[in-house]
Amino acid sequence: MARERVTQADEWQAWAQRYDIEGGIRTFESGLTVKVFVGALFVGLLMMPGSIYLSYVSGESGAGAAPWVAVILFTELARRSFTTARRQELYMLLGLTGAAVGSGLQYRNFIWYAYFINTPQAASYEIADKIPEWIVPAGDSVGVLTRSLLHPDWLLPIGIYLVGKLLGTLRFVSGQYILFRLTADLERLPYPMAPISAQGATALAETTGKEETWRWRVFSIGSMAGLIWGFLYIGVPSLTGVMMSQPIQILKIPWIDFTQSIEGFAPTGVFALRTDFGQMLFGFVLPFPIVMTEFIAAMATQFVLNPQILYRYEILHQWSAGLDVRAVGLFNGLDFWMSCSMGKSFSFAVVGMAASVPMLFKMRKSKKTAGERGSFAPPPNRGDFPIWLMGLMWLIGMGGFVWLIHWMVPNFPLSFLLAYAFLYTPLNSYVTARTFGVLGRDLFEIPYLHEITFILSRYEEIDIWFAPLPDEDYGRGTQSWRVLELTGTTFTSNLAGTLLIMPILLVSGIVVLHFIWKIAPIPSAQYPFAQMMWPINATNECLWKTSLRDGNSQMLQAIRGDYVAAGFTGSLAVYGMLWVFKLPSMWFYGIIGGIGADPGSMVARLLGAIIGRFYMIKRFGMRRWYMFNPVLAAGFACGVGLIGMGTVAIALVSKAVIVKPF
Amino acid sequence: MEKVASLIIIIGTFLWLFSILALGGRWQWQMFSALVLTVGIFWAHFWEELRDTDSTEESDEE
Repeated sequence: MARERVTQADEWQAWAQRYDIEGGIRTFESGLTVKVFVGALFVGLLMMPGSIYLSYVSGESGAGAAPWVAVILFTELARRSFTTARRQELYMLLGLTGAAVGSGLQYRNFIWYAYFINTPQAASYEIADKIPEWIVPAGDSVGVLTRSLLHPDWLLPIGIYLVGKLLGTLRFVSGQYILFRLTADLERLPYPMAPISAQGATALAETTGKEETWRWRVFSIGSMAGLIWGFLYIGVPSLTGVMMSQPIQILKIPWIDFTQSIEGFAPTGVFALRTDFGQMLFGFVLPFPIVMTEFIAAMATQFVLNPQILYRYEILHQWSAGLDVRAVGLFNGLDFWMSCSMGKSFSFAVVGMAASVPMLFKMRKSKKTAGERGSFAPPPNRGDFPIWLMGLMWLIGMGGFVWLIHWMVPNFPLSFLLAYAFLYTPLNSYVTARTFGVLGRDLFEIPYLHEITFILSRYEEIDIWFAPLPDEDYGRGTQSWRVLELTGTTFTSNLAGTLLIMPILLVSGIVVLHFIWKIAPIPSAQYPFAQMMWPINATNECLWKTSLRDGNSQMLQAIRGDYVAAGFTGSLAVYGMLWVFKLPSMWFYGIIGGIGADPGSMVARLLGAIIGRFYMIKRFGMRRWYMFNPVLAAGFACGVGLIGMGTVAIALVSKAVIVKPF
Repeated sequence: MEKVASLIIIIGTFLWLFSILALGGRWQWQMFSALVLTVGIFWAHFWEELRDTDSTEESDEE
């Protein structure tokens, strides 16, 4: 019997509907209220100094769990006050608290460069006197020597940063929104990871209502599993690391390396079993055909393609026996896979355009209603913005940004900046938006893009290394718009909240960082992580910034045109043949994602997918299981985050106590 | 139209395999195969979408 042809968009829409548990278009409400705004500011600003301090002391800011703490605190207060918290409010709270906690760290580059400019490394590599004044004042300026961010010396770097922030907000809001409309409204891509964030807020909102539903129960199960797993995987090594010179690891972190065990029959193959079994939860959520084909493709690469073809024909020529997964991965990457991956990434762009351009043509022909594939009409009351306004905002933001960079590095060729801004950025963002819409992760990255640009431009001044380039990616951010849609939060309320809190955070962040810098020099004995890592980082930064002086970088030599073409054309051939034989397009994303990858890193995800498909669906039924699993994953993330924050706090306190002799 | 798209894709795939196996994998030949494949894939999607429109319009009339 002939197989029926299903279009790529129909296939994805069918998958998305499994998660659309409230039946498509819903009612939208504002999530911005005074109590949400004040609550986010209170928790965020309370935790922000600790987060900055922790990042210098231990290298971990612990900021990930802070929004969840805020939400749990908020729901508990609501319960005790006999009021309810809406999911729109809780989702806004998550976002605003996250922004508030992270607001201090946005200025960390100022402290870093204030240190870097006076390092012996910067002096010996002859960089110190060439660092531009729009990055940091001179090494002997009062602002640097007295460790004061509020000194007038910092006016220019901070001013440039603020102008860049304003232009960046214009670009990112508009760029993400336009891509969201294209991928979520027009193409109806499912965004498989978005329901996790959405269902977490929904589950917690229900705890404040009169009736608790299955969501809170499932969220609690996920949280308990996360707490137990987090304690075993993060807690035990962190806490024992405080007391012992060698921390106890119940499961080796981050992987158990079998690469040397397989080299007898699969030379150049890698297999490192990733021990983070929290990944099983993602296996529950991701489409089964993708997880399965990804694993099969990865196994075929490491056990057939690498050893039997690429190694035999001496394409992988740097390998030698006895290497571990990192070394084999590095050599294989330099020999072949880095170039091939670049080609694969470009194929995503072509496939994405091939799927979406005909839709645009069709849209002009037929009238569709909101929520239907091929329709560009937004659902009613979602708080949408006119596309022309967003386009104009993006043009102003990007035009201003290019002008700013041109002012910072006037001798750098403007054509490169314009090509990045108006060709590369839209293409790169669109491809990433599609991969997030389909797979929930980024697959399109061109490595060493800046280095390649600097070589091609024949620009030899060092200041370009300190300037931002307009090579941006709005694709990742499209997922948050999808979460807003799933939680029923109006887009306008989210934008209003972000814009209202921004000025407060810009000021408070710099003031708090100023005071933390005043406590003691960074790095110093007060900040052991910075004291240990920053000198190494300074050397690395000097090496990178001077790597192109002699025009001989090993990384750049590794990029070969024939291997890039092989990755690109091979991927297109796979996609084409799947279409010819009427096989699911999901297989393409699985196969191309898995080729060249380490299958050991996918075992947990595969286990999750198999358990979900062959046990959970039978046990709970398809519909109930797809209702449960995003809530379960959100609860799990919450549990692990809380353990992480708790153990870091305990480690910090105990280290402070132990340092004192009496 | 579906068969034409399939034919172009199959030709592109064979061309690519031929460029790898017989022409030493030179990037120029591979990119030529990629061009053929791109044409085939675009053709395929245009056909899919136009076919969709026709059937929708027919069902609307009913």
